[in-house]
Parts: sequence; C-alpha cells; structure tokens
Amino acid sequence: MKSRYIIPLCVLFILLTGCWDQNLLVNYSLINGISLDLTNNDNILGTVRVLNIQSKGGGQYEIQDEQFQSTRPTFVGLESDINKMLPGKFDAKKAYVVLIGEEMAKRGIHPFLAAFYRPRESYITSKIVITKGKASDILGMEPQKSPIAFFLLQGLKSSEETTLIPEETLFTVWTKIVDSGQDVVLPYVEKIESKKMSIGGVVLFHGDKSSGISLPKEQSTLLLLLMDKFKKVSNMDLILVENSKPVSITFRTERLNRNLDLEIDESAQRIICKLNLKMDIQIRNYLEETNQKINIDQLNKDLSTELTKQAKEVTDTLLKANCDALGIGRRIASFHPELWKKMNWNEEYKNVQFEPDIKVNIIKTGHVF
Amino acid sequence: MNDKISISKFQLYFFLIQSQLGIGILSLPNAVQSTANGDGWISTLLAGGAVQLTFILYWFLLRRFPNDIYTELTKKILGHVLGKVCNLAIYLYFILTGYLAVFLFIHVVSSWLLPLTPFWILSLLIVGSSIYLTVSDLRIIARFFVMTSFLIIILLFLSFLTFSLPKEYQFLLPIGDSGVKNILLGSNKSLFSMLGFEGFLLIFPFIINREKGVMKTITLANLFITGLYTYFMILCLASFSPHQLHQIKEPLLYLFRALSFPMLDRLDLLFLSIWIVPMTTSVISYLFFAAKSISNKESYKKTVIISGIFIYCLSLVPLDQNMEELISKYHSYLGYVIVMGLPAFLLFLSAIFNKKEGSERV
Repeated sequence: MKSRYIIPLCVLFILLTGCWDQNLLVNYSLINGISLDLTNNDNILGTVRVLNIQSKGGGQYEIQDEQFQSTRPTFVGLESDINKMLPGKFDAKKAYVVLIGEEMAKRGIHPFLAAFYRPRESYITSKIVITKGKASDILGMEPQKSPIAFFLLQGLKSSEETTLIPEETLFTVWTKIVDSGQDVVLPYVEKIESKKMSIGGVVLFHGDKSSGISLPKEQSTLLLLLMDKFKKVSNMDLILVENSKPVSITFRTERLNRNLDLEIDESAQRIICKLNLKMDIQIRNYLEETNQKINIDQLNKDLSTELTKQAKEVTDTLLKANCDALGIGRRIASFHPELWKKMNWNEEYKNVQFEPDIKVNIIKTGHVF
Repeated sequence: MNDKISISKFQLYFFLIQSQLGIGILSLPNAVQSTANGDGWISTLLAGGAVQLTFILYWFLLRRFPNDIYTELTKKILGHVLGKVCNLAIYLYFILTGYLAVFLFIHVVSSWLLPLTPFWILSLLIVGSSIYLTVSDLRIIARFFVMTSFLIIILLFLSFLTFSLPKEYQFLLPIGDSGVKNILLGSNKSLFSMLGFEGFLLIFPFIINREKGVMKTITLANLFITGLYTYFMILCLASFSPHQLHQIKEPLLYLFRALSFPMLDRLDLLFLSIWIVPMTTSVISYLFFAAKSISNKESYKKTVIISGIFIYCLSLVPLDQNMEELISKYHSYLGYVIVMGLPAFLLFLSAIFNKKEGSERV
C-alpha cells in the first residue's frame, strides 16, 4: 500500500524543488525614469533614475533615488553599461516616463521604441515626453518629496485630463508612427528657473522624427479640440478686442462636436479639409466694465471669430511641420483608396487646404450673469 | 453504445468550443494579417462558413451510421484493411495537431511567462496533466470542459477593458481592398486556428438523444467560435496599425499588455496564466481524438499513455522557424485531407453503394 505512493511522491518532489523564473525584488534596481540625449559629438547619452529600496527591518524601507549615466554611439549597450553601475539588476519594468531630448527627437525616436516594445519585460504604457534642451537636465532635477519621474507623471496625467496634451503612451505612439496616414504629436516639458519645470505644449512629429516645431499651451489645446481628442474639460484664456478695448476672458469647454469633411477635387488635385467645431462653453472669468450684463450673442460671435482665426494658425503650423496630426491621410486611404495609392502623401500633404470654422455657444456664465 | 460514457448536447457544445479555442486565437490576427490585411475579419467569417459546410457534410455521413464510431465506419465503407490504414492516418493527423498545439503552447509560455524554465519541464507539466485527464472517460473530460468554459468570460471581460485604448476603425476600410484571393488565403489561416471541430466525427456516437437537435448544437457552437474570432479580429485590426500587426506575433496578448490600471499592470501575463487552461483543453481533446481513432475499449488507456509520451518526446525536438513552418504546411495539407477530403469521399462512396447502418446484415 505504502509503496504505491512512493514513486509519485518522488516525482512531485523533483517538480517542487525549483522555480527557474523567480525574480526577487531585492535583486533588482527599479528604474522609474529614463532620458535620452544627443551629445555634441553625436553620441547618445542615456540617463536613468533608480529607486534603491533597502529594508531597515520591521517592514520599514529606506528609499533612495539615484541617477546613473552612460554614453554610447548608439542606443545598444547603454543598458548593459548602466547595469554594471547599479547595485542590482537593471529593471525597467516600471519605467513610467521616457524623456527624449529635443535634438535626439529630430533624429527619430523609432529605434528607442523598438527597444521598449520588443523585450518581454518592458513597460509599454510609459509616457514619452520631449524636452526643450537636455533631457538629462530635467531628469536630474531634485524635487523635495517624490522622485522626479513620479512628479512628472502626475503633471502629465492632470494635463491630459484638461485636454492640454494628448493621451499617448509608448504603445499608442508606436501605432501612429508606423502608420503612414497619420502623425503623432507629443507633449514637451521645459525647464523654468533652475529647479522647476513646466509642461509646455506639444511637439509636432512627422513620421518618427520631430519637426522641431512646437505649439504652446493655448494652441495645443485648440489642436486637440480639432483632433476631437476632448477629454473631461479644457480651459482656455483669450484676450479679445471688444469695442476697441481689450477684454480678457477665461472659459471652459464642456461639450464638443467636431465634424471633419474632405472635399477632393481630383482633376485640380485639390484637397479641402473642412473642420467644423461646435463648442459649448462655460465662462469662468470675464473682465469688463462694471454694471453691465454680458452680451452673450455678441460674445459668442467674437469668440467664434477669434478661435477660427487661431485654428487657422494652428493648421498652418501643422502644414509647415508636415505633421498630419488630424489623420487626413488615413481618411483618404479609407475612403479614396485609388487616390491614396497614386499619391505620395509626404509631398502631397502640404497642399491640403484647411478651412476651420468654430462656433462657440455660451451655455453657462457661472454663478453670476 | 455503452451508456456509461455518453455526454449530453450541452456538454457537446462546450466540448467543441474548448477543443477549438486555445493557442490559435492568440496569434490569429497576425497570421491572417500577412495576407488579408484589413479584411481579416471577412476571412474568419468565411472560415466559419467553411466549418459549417463541413459540419453539414459530417451530418449527412454520420446520419447513415448513427451507432458506429467513425473508425468503424471507415472500415465498413472501405473494407477492413483500407479502413485501418485510414484510421492510422487519422491517428497521425491528431497526433501531429496535438504536437503542434503543445509545441506552440510551450513556446508562448516560454517567451511570455517563464523564459528560464526548461522546455522539458513545461512540456512534462502540460502533457502529463493532459494524459491524466484523458485516461478518464469522455464524460469526465466533457464535465471538465464545461467547467473551464467560464474562463471565456474572463477573456471577454478583458477584451471589454481594451476599449479604453484608442481605436481606429478606419484601419478596416476600405472593405474588400485586399482582394478575393488574399481573403481566401486568410480564411485558410483562420480555419487552422478553428481546428478541433473535426472531433465531432469521433464523439458523435456518445451523444445522448442524437436523433435530433445535434445539428442545432454544433451550429450554435460554430456560431459562437466564429463570432468570437471575428470579434477579436476586428478588435485587433482597430487597435494596431497594419504594419504593427505584421510585426507582433501574439497580437491578443499585446493588446492586454497595453492596458494599465493603477492597481493592476501587465494583464497579458495574468491573462496568459489563466489561458493555460483552455490551451491545455485543446491538447486534451487532440489526445482523446487520437486515442479514440485507433483503440478499442480495452486498449484505450494504454493508447492514451503511449500517444501522450509520443507527443511529449516530439515536443522536445528543437525546431528552427523554417522547420516549424514546413511542418505546419504539411500539417495543413494533411488537415484538409483528413478533415474535409476523407469524410466527403466516405459520404460519396456510401451514397453510391447505399451503405447504411446494418445494411451489411441484410
């Protein structure tokens, strides 16, 4: 009776003895932020911020946030270089932000993306941010409380919610970069003063290369509205000229209805893109003379004209950067496949005529009239 | 037939679904993308249609011999010797399919979950547990399959979560752009991830009350699988750009990888750990079909164990990508012969000679 169980038991013991794939947290150095820069002699400077977790016993941990750097001619080898400096194994499983220097982005970002989406363990929902100036300067900053990467991540998330920057992750950027019918816009951060940074707006890309042209905050919000990427809310500040007096106004967009129509005249080789935007807004701040109610109809008209003018500026910038952020190419490929196969979109995109038209409708004026 | 190992129609439904659903769905969008591009979803629909036609073919064939197992049927129609040769070919086909399922299975688990664990351990665990379940009778297998079907709900739930990712339905447009030929080639690929339905031939005589309603059950099972595959095709086509789909080996897992929640990350790894069970059920059903195709009641257990060991040994042979493609190619040829050619031929012969149940006795 007993001998019947001995063989299965032995087999079980063999199977239970080891686990090949165990990764203990103590053996790893957790990387929370990565930055990539182009140095003066065309080498790549990689910087990482590492969280060093040390147990002090009794469930207490001491956390240190350290910085490591390495330079190489290409991206390859940076990881193993840094790995040698680290106290534990290189672990980019939680690299929340990847900062890419302005100059590096002009060379193309696809090689770095490949290094992130190919390996099994990497984190493909990290945020990609372009920096004005050196990326390592931003990553090297020391805010008082949490590591800079977490600080930056929080800022990015709140900016995404207020429709200031697009909601992009490494994965979605990859999707857009390899698609010829659309281009990506990525947020940028810049250093202000010596120890502070601010999320600026968006950098326009063509393919995987930065065009070097960027849109500041106000315009990036408008671009996102034109792209129909409206999130929860979006705030805008404008200075209008009313009765030859400047009036400043702050409003919050609450509902958005975008209509994008393409008119294609094949004989004249003309592509006209009609962008109709209907915005329902709430006035947050309106500085005007005392004792006067807001003339809503007039204000609606003025705002519409002003925003339409600004939208035209935005689309002109898009054309200048050759950045098809609105996905016009994808539309042509879907609805006019014959035409799409004939044309060279890289060249043709510049000839698209944008006709933006924004209609503003004030639905709330806050708690006062 | 012996009532002890009969299954209900409800169990038949899940039996078919579990044999069909497994490793194939993970890489299906990539396989179909290589030819059909944005029209991959049409390919899966067509493949579903082809499966339905095959089911009708099976139905006409099996209706003539409602009490015989498929392997006796081949002997009755083709004669004893030729029938045995046929059964051997069927056996080899199931072994090969089972082997490919195990091979792909351990490669996916190895490349996603356990890169350092040696193949022989992974294979041992998979094949070992498959043998353990397969040696018990059909009813227990069917019960297990019904029980594990709730895991499909997890798959569906996770797929709903992916709607938070940006979707671009324009990737599906213009419809029919890749041409009839490419869509059909894509159907060929999707048909092979739907394999498992041919097991119906072997389990037919074990179904309770098989006089009516069986056709309805298998049609529903096919509808479910076709619907599920088409749904995931559309989901992947809209989530990845065409170039990406060409590159990614297991798009479905990648889709879950792109999800991130404050408390939960890397859903692909969690999902794959769960999906190990449906992948194993496919192996189990192939082992079962293989053993059924050459054994009788007495030799069944022995055949299962020997076939299992056979598959295990095969799975340890290292293969490079070219060899693997070659084997899959020959497997697909053999598949068409066994799954569609042979039953059609048998039906043709039995119709000509008007052979039916009991006609030999007359």
